Amino acid sequence: MRARRWTFTAILVVALAGLLAFLVVPVVAVFTNVPPSELLASLRSDAAVDALVVTAKTNLVANALILLVGTPAAYLLATHRFRGRALVVTLVELPLVLPPAVAGIGLLAAFGTQGLLGDEVSALGMDVAFTQLAVVLAVTFVASPYYVRQAITAFEAVDRTMLDAARTLGAGPARVFLRVSLPLAASGLGAGAALAFARGIGEFGATIMFAGSLQGVTQTLSLAIYEQLDVDFDVALAVSAFLVVVSGALLLAVKLVPGWTRSGWISPTVSARSASS
Amino acid sequence: MTLGALVAGLLITAPAGASREAGQLTVFAGSSLRAVFPRIDVKPRYNFAGTNQLAFQLRRGAPVDVFASASPAYTQALFRSRLVERPRTLTYNRLVLAVPRSNPADLHSVYDLRRKDAKLVIGTAQVPIGSYTRKVLARLGLLSMLDKVVSAEPDVKSIVGKLSLGQGDAGFIYTTDVRASAGRLAAIPIPARGKPKVRYEIAVVTSSKHKNAARGWVRAVTRSPRARALFREAGFLPR
Repeated sequence: MRARRWTFTAILVVALAGLLAFLVVPVVAVFTNVPPSELLASLRSDAAVDALVVTAKTNLVANALILLVGTPAAYLLATHRFRGRALVVTLVELPLVLPPAVAGIGLLAAFGTQGLLGDEVSALGMDVAFTQLAVVLAVTFVASPYYVRQAITAFEAVDRTMLDAARTLGAGPARVFLRVSLPLAASGLGAGAALAFARGIGEFGATIMFAGSLQGVTQTLSLAIYEQLDVDFDVALAVSAFLVVVSGALLLAVKLVPGWTRSGWISPTVSARSASS
Repeated sequence: MTLGALVAGLLITAPAGASREAGQLTVFAGSSLRAVFPRIDVKPRYNFAGTNQLAFQLRRGAPVDVFASASPAYTQALFRSRLVERPRTLTYNRLVLAVPRSNPADLHSVYDLRRKDAKLVIGTAQVPIGSYTRKVLARLGLLSMLDKVVSAEPDVKSIVGKLSLGQGDAGFIYTTDVRASAGRLAAIPIPARGKPKVRYEIAVVTSSKHKNAARGWVRAVTRSPRARALFREAGFLPR
């Protein structure tokens, strides 16, 4: 009996070891191909710096939009039950599972010059094609579900008795939202924002199809990796290493920042789970 | 144990299913050759992309039998590295300024680019179409037009895509690409003195496991009357 249990555990350990090795090797290889000093030097190349600026700018705008619109939308979905809610949530989550190429062609078909809303967009005096606005739209499209999904969970986790208490004390719905729900859900919202940001800075497929690629204008970090691949492999590696560090830090933050682990989106660490229960 | 059997079964059948039939050639070819190679021979497995990307993949060990480039620069470099056998000329092509059929920027000559506020889509400096484009602009004294470039694309087909959708107003591509666009694009000729010589080269890959078949294939596409006729029909220039 005991031997059997031992064997079973051994199988689990082997599986984990195999999984870890497979997942970690490519990430480590990004850093070990060239010495760190050369990586840092390559990161200071024009192409890398320009891509960094473009990525930072477009992602800040995109994430501001996501927070601004996504938070109230998620609040509605978390606090109201209505017919077709499941359908609405599914639609909001759809970009999570859409292939990037589909997102790209969808954006082209919708907002492209000859797209569904092309005339409306140009009537507004906006020029989307090949602008940073196109990058912002692509990032917003693919990253927003990461935030909204997490935000719905965070708002749902807020203790309803707190909201009822606030209401009986005379607070209006807007006040309840701003003064009670928002602060109580803040950590969950932060985790969602971090995930959306991590997804956004790595955006590739929809961006290259919809926004094109031009250094200093629409060429984000991921597009720079693609273009530099056969120009200067070191620059491609350096940008990749940078993205690994930033994405890893964001994911770690989501796990470690107190309270960020409340929802089920990210598997909580054991210590955090015991602390919160 | 059924799971184990299933996995084992997959491992045994997968390579057979995924691998090519015996002797099937793998041909890496510049994006612009998509209009003609499959019409000459549907059998090989083709990979059409920017020549520079294909050369990169070849150098990194991709299993390839034949390599065809829109510029001798890449085949010659690979030949110097002994990765391909001696390249031979495949065909010639011509650059044009292509515009969407509706011609939103109302362009009628390359010099109109100077006056018009046109969104120009070109290839990156590495891909042959992009390096030819920079040569044309330099020869015509239009290098400042690079300021009007809104996107630098990795290969010809991406430029064609952006123009066909009307996202860009104009772009430099090969005359054969305009012909292959089935009327979605219109060509504006480039003045003779600006025209770069666009020569395609083809070579058998040194590491090919089907060298004889690959050599035969290269001979057929470079010499057979049928292949030559199909090249002409697609708009390529005779050798």
